[in-house]
Amino acid sequence: MIKCPFCQTTHVANTLFCSECGTYLLEDDRRGTDPLGTGEIGWVGTEEEGSEHLAQHGSGPLGVRLHIGESGRQVEAPLSKAIHLGRLDPASDVFPELDLSEDGGLEKGVSRRHARILKREGTVVVEDLGSINGTFINGKRLAPYLPEALHDGDQLQLGKLLIEVELS
Amino acid sequence: MQIDKDYYEILGIPQTATDEEIRQAYRSLARRSHPDVSGDAEASEEFQDVQEAYETLSDPAQRQKYDQWREQQGRDKSSALSLRAIASHQTLLAIPEEQAYYVLLNATPASDLPTSRLPLNLSLVLDRSTSMQGMRLQQVKEATRQIIDKLQPEDALSLVVFSDRAEVLLPSQHNVDKAMAKSIASTIQPSGGTEMLQGLLSGLSEIERNQSDTSVNHLILLTDGQTYGDEQGCLEEAEAAGNRQISLSTMGIGSDWNEDLLDQMAALSGGVSTYIDSPRKVVDIFKDTVRSLGLVVARELVMSINPRSGIRLHEAFQITPHIRRLESRGDRMVLGPLGTDQGKAILMEFRVQGLPVNEQRLMRITVEGDVPGKANRRSWEWVELAAVISETPDPDADIPPPIVTALGKLAIFKMQEKAMADLEAGEISAATQRLETMATRLLNLGETDLARAALLEAGRLARTGDLSAEGRKKIRYGTRALSILPKEIHHD
Repeated sequence: MIKCPFCQTTHVANTLFCSECGTYLLEDDRRGTDPLGTGEIGWVGTEEEGSEHLAQHGSGPLGVRLHIGESGRQVEAPLSKAIHLGRLDPASDVFPELDLSEDGGLEKGVSRRHARILKREGTVVVEDLGSINGTFINGKRLAPYLPEALHDGDQLQLGKLLIEVELS
Repeated sequence: MQIDKDYYEILGIPQTATDEEIRQAYRSLARRSHPDVSGDAEASEEFQDVQEAYETLSDPAQRQKYDQWREQQGRDKSSALSLRAIASHQTLLAIPEEQAYYVLLNATPASDLPTSRLPLNLSLVLDRSTSMQGMRLQQVKEATRQIIDKLQPEDALSLVVFSDRAEVLLPSQHNVDKAMAKSIASTIQPSGGTEMLQGLLSGLSEIERNQSDTSVNHLILLTDGQTYGDEQGCLEEAEAAGNRQISLSTMGIGSDWNEDLLDQMAALSGGVSTYIDSPRKVVDIFKDTVRSLGLVVARELVMSINPRSGIRLHEAFQITPHIRRLESRGDRMVLGPLGTDQGKAILMEFRVQGLPVNEQRLMRITVEGDVPGKANRRSWEWVELAAVISETPDPDADIPPPIVTALGKLAIFKMQEKAMADLEAGEISAATQRLETMATRLLNLGETDLARAALLEAGRLARTGDLSAEGRKKIRYGTRALSILPKEIHHD
């Protein structure tokens, strides 16, 4: 038997999450994200032009396809809800839809909660979630929590990890 | 052994059928096809097949031999399904007490399967009651026109509107004249109340006019209100439709409709219910639903689990396309249709106790499905799971990330289930507390909208003792969509 440290409910051995309060029940020693030197990332400066007007209407793309890093791993996601990009860390309640751990996320400076892609008023946008090493579109760094439009063919960069964007 | 005969298909039973089920299937088929009864040659051939199938399957030794051959055959012919199972543990500690063991099963269409689109036999059944006036109806008309534009000549479409009564605007037909159909859709005017059963019945009878074995027979029902007095009728019709291979997408717009009813109707027919929180989303949701309909590989998947003794299934959930609890019927679970563009992920939690030390075969999981696009339509695939039962723990053992991710999202869905159960039982303060805990978890996940809804409803619950109609829907449909995960694309 094991006991939830948070609400004291008991569970059978090997249980992963407390069924009462949802707490992760395994010990964990994952590492946090180290800041990278700015030279390593190669950013060009923050976006200069005013951010584009978001389209008022229209349905826009239904899905997004991402080509990730050197491995060229490809994933496809519907845009019916926000897609979070980061690194899985159950102990701190981080379950990104797109876990970049296997793409060298930690070494490349990807935060656990790094950025999210979502559709707003028919336009696909990306928002930096206060990541340590920043989110970039075509080399331009985004201000945290300020969503910017994402276009087909854009180069998205999380820390040093490059992601190519395809909208469908 | 004869190569081209599938005895299970001849008897119309799954591979996991019990002796009793085999006997029953045989009796009813033999009665129908017996040459003395029917007298025609075709029937007598059928009778011989039935006879042969029964003789083989009713004899345990012969059945085992046949099963082995059939499975071999399934592998060799490359099944239309591909299964991949990930287990939480490769090594289980030999302890006297019960322990948990998780399996995440991914069912996807086999990569070499030609992805031909199946023809649609679709009926749109639309609520045109007074409350639909304005933006709602406007968007529904636009969505309908866009669906019409996407139709292929082989697709059949019918258009039904309902208020106090139902009206067939476009009878079911192939080769739809698109300009004509779109102008009909544009004429829909709001008036009257909401009598859902009438609309449902008209839509179903339109579908039946063009129903075939190889088409995807589907009804999309959209409403924004409560229907009164005919709920039971709606449920019965939905279940009957499911039995006739017609599935229902039920969609509620706004907050005044009955989510229990729409949910159950969809579930009974093997379809999905959707909450449309803003009229702007109608077009996307309609388009997405219709697009994925044609991309069905298997119309109904059935999973069966054969664990060794000492292991039992504790609970099972579908994780993708959306979270839902799976109920077993006997030792089987109905998983619903499998699309070409989206696989199904199933998470099972087992309880293990008293296994002897050593390497152990734990279970076999079999998935069967009806694949309309394949010559041999009954397709199946299975996976075997094994683990080492050891006295010493494995220091390098890590729970695979996909299992952790799935369970993390599932934990929130289950809290929602429990909060609703507490509420149902009148345990207001327990339900409130759960919603608050849930809001914290959701906030951590970055699901701010859903977190806000949960927190608002927790406050309302504490004050008024109930949830708002809108909040109920937001939480219910929001938590089941938590598991939408990107799909890996493989290029071979």
